[in-house]
Amino acid sequence: MEQRAVMAEPKIDDRVIEGCQRGDREAFRELFEAYKDKVFSIAVYSMSGDQAAASDVSQQIFLKLINSIRHFRGDSAFTTWLYRLVVNACIDEQRKRGRLLQLDDNPIETNHDRCPQERQFARLEVSEQVQTAINELTPKLRMPILLKYGEGLSYEEIAEVLECSMGTVSSRLNRGHQSLAKKLSHLRAQL
Amino acid sequence: MPVNFDSEYAVQVDREGTGRNACPTVEVWESEMVSKHVNEELSAYCNGALTTAESQQVAEHLIGCIQCRADFEQIKLGAKLAEQIPQFAAPASLWANIEAQLDTPVDVQPTVQLSGRYGQTHSGRMLRFAAIAAGLMLAIGIGALWLFTRESRPFWEVARLDGAPLVGSSRISDKGQLAVGEWLETDGASRAQIEVGTIGHVEVDPNTRVRLVETKPTEHRLELARGRMSAKIFAPPRLFFVNTPSGIAADLGCAYTLEVDDLGASLLHVTSGWVAMQLRDIESIVPAGASCATRPGIGPGTPYFADASESFKAALTKLDFDEGLTDDQRTAVLNQVIADARHRDTLTLWHLLYRVKGQQRERVFERMALLAPPPKEVTRDGCLQLDEKMLHLWKGYLENSWIGDSGFKKAGGKPVGGEQWAVGSRRKKWSLDGGHLPEVKKQ
Repeated sequence: MEQRAVMAEPKIDDRVIEGCQRGDREAFRELFEAYKDKVFSIAVYSMSGDQAAASDVSQQIFLKLINSIRHFRGDSAFTTWLYRLVVNACIDEQRKRGRLLQLDDNPIETNHDRCPQERQFARLEVSEQVQTAINELTPKLRMPILLKYGEGLSYEEIAEVLECSMGTVSSRLNRGHQSLAKKLSHLRAQL
Repeated sequence: MPVNFDSEYAVQVDREGTGRNACPTVEVWESEMVSKHVNEELSAYCNGALTTAESQQVAEHLIGCIQCRADFEQIKLGAKLAEQIPQFAAPASLWANIEAQLDTPVDVQPTVQLSGRYGQTHSGRMLRFAAIAAGLMLAIGIGALWLFTRESRPFWEVARLDGAPLVGSSRISDKGQLAVGEWLETDGASRAQIEVGTIGHVEVDPNTRVRLVETKPTEHRLELARGRMSAKIFAPPRLFFVNTPSGIAADLGCAYTLEVDDLGASLLHVTSGWVAMQLRDIESIVPAGASCATRPGIGPGTPYFADASESFKAALTKLDFDEGLTDDQRTAVLNQVIADARHRDTLTLWHLLYRVKGQQRERVFERMALLAPPPKEVTRDGCLQLDEKMLHLWKGYLENSWIGDSGFKKAGGKPVGGEQWAVGSRRKKWSLDGGHLPEVKKQ
């Protein structure tokens, strides 16, 4: 599956959300296009790199979204509401699979089969190693990292999505950062 | 952000071997200003999620606390790594799979019939009107996009001090903003002050051109193309950098002036704390009261104290930058430097050890040993072979004489470790800090 360094912030306005609430298929499509990569990325990490499983989870998430968006009242930002749905669906899926994804449970695809030219790029190698290290974090530490650095959410938004305090977010990010630094200290010079 | 310390946050058991308790378990030297360790707040600090007052508190603590500073380096590295997180593109089949499961009939929306309407008239006037309208819409769109892009970029506050400084092509009134990528330019009659996030400020003198290259919690970077600026930074080491055409000034918690001439040569003068002047693998560590020149294509010269003799400084300039010197001439200017060196000029001699070879290095060592005998662990052979550990141990003992009364003195003359500087070779870390600390005491 293609990897991308950074994804643009989706531009979804009230019109699209209202369209989805009315059952407008085109509005759904617009919403889907805006968030598909973000949702899929979180799912990939939550499924320890199993992209087929991530695709199934993403499908479930969007179907759930389509069915429940009429309940969205705008009490929180749409993205917060969406990410909560994504996080909960990923947790449910992990539970359904009877495991909390842990280290070595299902190692992420590390693209070792890439062509030699591609592997020459140091940046890609860094990102591969980061991907593996993030995957090896416990779900508790992984999700705040994904929401912060993958989705660009603020501490307050992450707290809202994960339904915990900002102190907890701060603490988990602290531990996540330290864990990444410890595992990947050899990459210091390449950053 | 007022951080809420709930139970999970407070307990912080080191389940994954990543966190640690606040109490130090190794011999640690700390400043008197250290109060409570801030290791729990470091990620929030790093991500700019604290209030200004909280950030200031953390920064103050970090300057004095070796242990939290080591943690901060760790967190900063973790954050930089996390910024590299790869994202995945959803498979192309995903929508088709979703659509296949949707029972909801497609709600066909009435489409706006612009083309039909204009198509019915076939009027040239209407077509022209449509073209103009489309052009206007496009221009508005581009304008809105430009505004959005500009406003979404990080920026620093700029205040006019004199005259009419320019940001980009716009004059700023009393206050303005300098976004990442933008140039701030002063003419002969204007000056400006830039707020460097929450960590300090930079005064930009007349006839200066400076650009904001990067601002993020783990790194703030300016480019000084020409002119003169003064920086006062209150932050942990290596958070604020200034690029010049011939070197990079890395702040180690300090105040300094930096000027760049039209040929790209620069001169750094440190007024408080320490600055590292670097280019590629060459690095000069410059304490308060000292200066360091740089030249394009050569990089940083050897640091020297401003109060050194004129003949010392003139000879050093030749040694550093005159690439046309014959071997005899080079020996002569080195002899001049050695002859004029005072105890305090061991700053220059220590850096020169890395920059000269053979007999020249021997003579530099002998002069240094005469001015400030090395501790017993430091041997002549070790120094001549540029043994990093020995040279930095000696440096640790010399620093008190280099720092003088600048307020950045260590207690007892004992090196307190940290980042080690290898001038002319790659930097290596072997302990927690470079000894660049306020007055410290052993706990």
